[in-house]
Amino acid sequence: MITKKIFITFIFISQLLLSNSYSVEPDEILQNPKQELRARDISKNIRCMVCQNQSIDESNAPLAKDLRILIRNQIKDGKNDEEIYKFLTDRYGDFILLKPAFKLNTLALWLLPFIFVLVGIFIVFFHNKKSKKI
Amino acid sequence: MKKKIFIVSFIFFILILLVFFYLLIIERNPTELPSNLLNKNVPKFEADSLIKKEKFISSEEFGNEIVLVNFFATWCRPCLEEHNYIKRFSNEEKIRIIGINYKDNKKAAINWLNKLGNPYSNIPIDKDGRVAIEWGVYGIPETFVINSNGIIKYKHIGPITEKVYKKINLLIEKIE
Amino acid sequence: MAPYLGNISLWLSLFFAISQFFVSKKNKKSKFITISVIGLLISSLISFFLLMYSHVVSDFSVLNVFQNSHTTKPLLYKVSGTWGNHEGSMLLWILVLTIFNYFIFKLYNEKNSIFISKTLETQAFITAGFILFTVLTSNPFEIISPTQADGLGFNPILQDPALAIHPPLLYIGYVGFSAAFSISIATLALENNEKIPWHSYMKPFVVAAWTFLTIGIAFGAVWAYYELGWGGWWFWDPVENASFMPWLLGTALLHSLITVEKKKSLQSWVLLLAILAFLLSVVGTFLVRSGILTSVHTFALDPSRGIYILAFTAILGGYSLILFGLKSKKYLNNSYFSFFSKEGSILINNILMVVVCSSVFLGTIYPLLVEAFTNNKISVGEPYYNTTVVPIMIPAILIMGIGPILSWGKEDKSKTFKKIFPSVLLTTIITLFIFLFYQSYSLIGVVGIVLAFWIISNNLLMIFKKNRNCSTSMIISHLGVGLLILGITGSSVWQIEKITKMQIKDQTKIEKYTIVFEKIDEIKGANYVALQGNFLVYDEEKNVITKLKPQNRFYPITNNFTTEASIHTNLLRDLYIVLGDGNLKDGWVVKFYYNPLVVWIWIGALVIFFGGIISINNNLNKLRTLT
Repeated sequence: MITKKIFITFIFISQLLLSNSYSVEPDEILQNPKQELRARDISKNIRCMVCQNQSIDESNAPLAKDLRILIRNQIKDGKNDEEIYKFLTDRYGDFILLKPAFKLNTLALWLLPFIFVLVGIFIVFFHNKKSKKI
Repeated sequence: MKKKIFIVSFIFFILILLVFFYLLIIERNPTELPSNLLNKNVPKFEADSLIKKEKFISSEEFGNEIVLVNFFATWCRPCLEEHNYIKRFSNEEKIRIIGINYKDNKKAAINWLNKLGNPYSNIPIDKDGRVAIEWGVYGIPETFVINSNGIIKYKHIGPITEKVYKKINLLIEKIE
Repeated sequence: MAPYLGNISLWLSLFFAISQFFVSKKNKKSKFITISVIGLLISSLISFFLLMYSHVVSDFSVLNVFQNSHTTKPLLYKVSGTWGNHEGSMLLWILVLTIFNYFIFKLYNEKNSIFISKTLETQAFITAGFILFTVLTSNPFEIISPTQADGLGFNPILQDPALAIHPPLLYIGYVGFSAAFSISIATLALENNEKIPWHSYMKPFVVAAWTFLTIGIAFGAVWAYYELGWGGWWFWDPVENASFMPWLLGTALLHSLITVEKKKSLQSWVLLLAILAFLLSVVGTFLVRSGILTSVHTFALDPSRGIYILAFTAILGGYSLILFGLKSKKYLNNSYFSFFSKEGSILINNILMVVVCSSVFLGTIYPLLVEAFTNNKISVGEPYYNTTVVPIMIPAILIMGIGPILSWGKEDKSKTFKKIFPSVLLTTIITLFIFLFYQSYSLIGVVGIVLAFWIISNNLLMIFKKNRNCSTSMIISHLGVGLLILGITGSSVWQIEKITKMQIKDQTKIEKYTIVFEKIDEIKGANYVALQGNFLVYDEEKNVITKLKPQNRFYPITNNFTTEASIHTNLLRDLYIVLGDGNLKDGWVVKFYYNPLVVWIWIGALVIFFGGIISINNNLNKLRTLT
């Protein structure tokens, strides 16, 4: 039963990888290098939904290519980075961002490492102070 | 002081284990994503139709009754596997189904439907995949349930199975 | 025949593990415990080799062989296919557990029988837990009937020598920490063990575990680099993080054990670290095998496995942490040491390693927390870890340069400047030279090069110093880290990528090289067919440096497409070509990478490994003089 599920999932996903395109292709590259750089930077932050842990910038999948072209078209139309990200997250959710958005539900995620460092420094001074007394 | 820190960390440890336990026992598919379009309006789009001469215009086709939207293609094997269920939705349950033909060849699609039966009331053509992106689709087949106000109420990723078929029918009864 | 015997042997090993658990309560090196330990080792060896035999002879009556193998698979990969799947890899875990169990047993002497017995009791519990998990949820000897003619094959990108050896090396790492865990439990649980040198017992296990975990991770990374085709080697994938976290804690443990040895301080901290390092290994096992998240590494989804491992983690973690909470007091040592001393720098290293580990842990499980509480899915990718982890590593590496040359007690600050001046000078000179020569400036690049040469110069100078108060193995391993940083900096900061469409006979330039697209060949391999591009690489003087032959392969049995990059390596850079889509009429898409200094990542890892091996040897010698 479970093997059948896996099998179907595999077929489902492999359909998407059937057409071979190899990440950013020469004909996708924009003429304006500044715009192209923006496109690459945004793409590097967008997760390829049908791959494992790749951005659409690196991925071979057809969906990745479609999204790369869409992003470049939007850049050419004059949209700014926030608008492009919003377009994608409106349709695919926050999951599509590789760098988690700074929102209420990611507050802990972004602040805790900073707090860990502070706790670490605190322990350092606390220990020093305490053992100096002795 | 140290004891307090210890107790707090230990509680965190237990909480995290409980979260993992909870995630394991509920029914979830770790590869599947909840649709961001749930309870939102159907995306507006226009496209050529595979079977009609007039263009497919979304504002005309949604907002009147409950509709299923099914993204499919002839090169997609799971689409072939679920086709019977799509036909059952149309024939037995008498639900209107719109099939969006994704990145396909017109002739091949027409032949495919002629051979297997056409359950779709209309078939907009998504040649370059842009319509799919508007719907937040990332693989096919995907099936959406739209209520009579044109709001997306449910999305299923992957082929329709017996379980999913029943689930969607129950959902449709509830919405009515 | 083989699978039936293998299954019996597996159940037998469970029996021996359980018997070891009970017999060890007698607190002496009895005949029964000897039988349990040896029986456990032999039965686990037998079941492992019987599974391997089934794979090698392609016995498709065994479900495990059917699901993961094929008659056309090359022999090497039939062998490594034994552990290249969930069930088989559990047998490998168990085997390594029984081997380390045997090493613990070898520690018995007249004075420590109670202590070693307690250690063996804990180790037996862990081993029994894993064997029970295997027989209940993941038995590799399951039979299918009727027997199929051939198997479902194996994922072709996993048919690779680096990937074949990656799991055994990693498991030595994870399992080594189990021995440290058991020793920690024994230390905490027993009274009257003032005379037991528990830290001397723990150290060889920790060094061995850490050393092999390092090289195991390195093999995984080198495989990702040349196999996956986009010049990267680390993706902050949850399963990669699951190996990185025990490594971080292992690094901390390695260093603080030195402090315990020399100064008797940080004892209770070390006992806690030993518990946490192994707990993280088990949590890692949970994340990979429970189906709770997906990644390239996860095995098939099965919640029942997850629930078992979760329960096992809860028991191990609950028991060990409560024990620590209750009993660690007597190991608290409030001796003062200045932060400007060797101990101080080790403590700072430990704090930084734990902070990085916490951040990696947070990033890895955060999506699960969000999903549980808000029914929403977010993802945490590379940008998060680059922002949170990398900045913390910088002070850690700075301290790594200066720590070894500080003295144990309070450092005499007037002497410090004299001690570090040569390396500061050397670092500055080398850094300036590099940037003047290459004329490429980027802040992160400067930081990386400075850090790398700070470590390299410090350690090179120490080799020539007459009386140093640190070991050769430390110098070598630290040197390895410096080389590793050099490689990471070069390949991340100054990577050049070029994507272009080429017809046959076209040429293109990258850096100072001219590359000509000669021809396309059709190649037939053992279980694949491939389209191969032939590229000639010329340097500035128009001499041919090499011929690069990237391939696009199709494996008919599993219906997989793969790309094989073609790489030319030298000490300064890698030239990396991937062949894309195309045809004779329109030409092909070709992707070129110029990756400076990549090879130093692998060299650095090997040097670290080499230093670790020397350290294991030294620690074993020290242990022998004790017992």
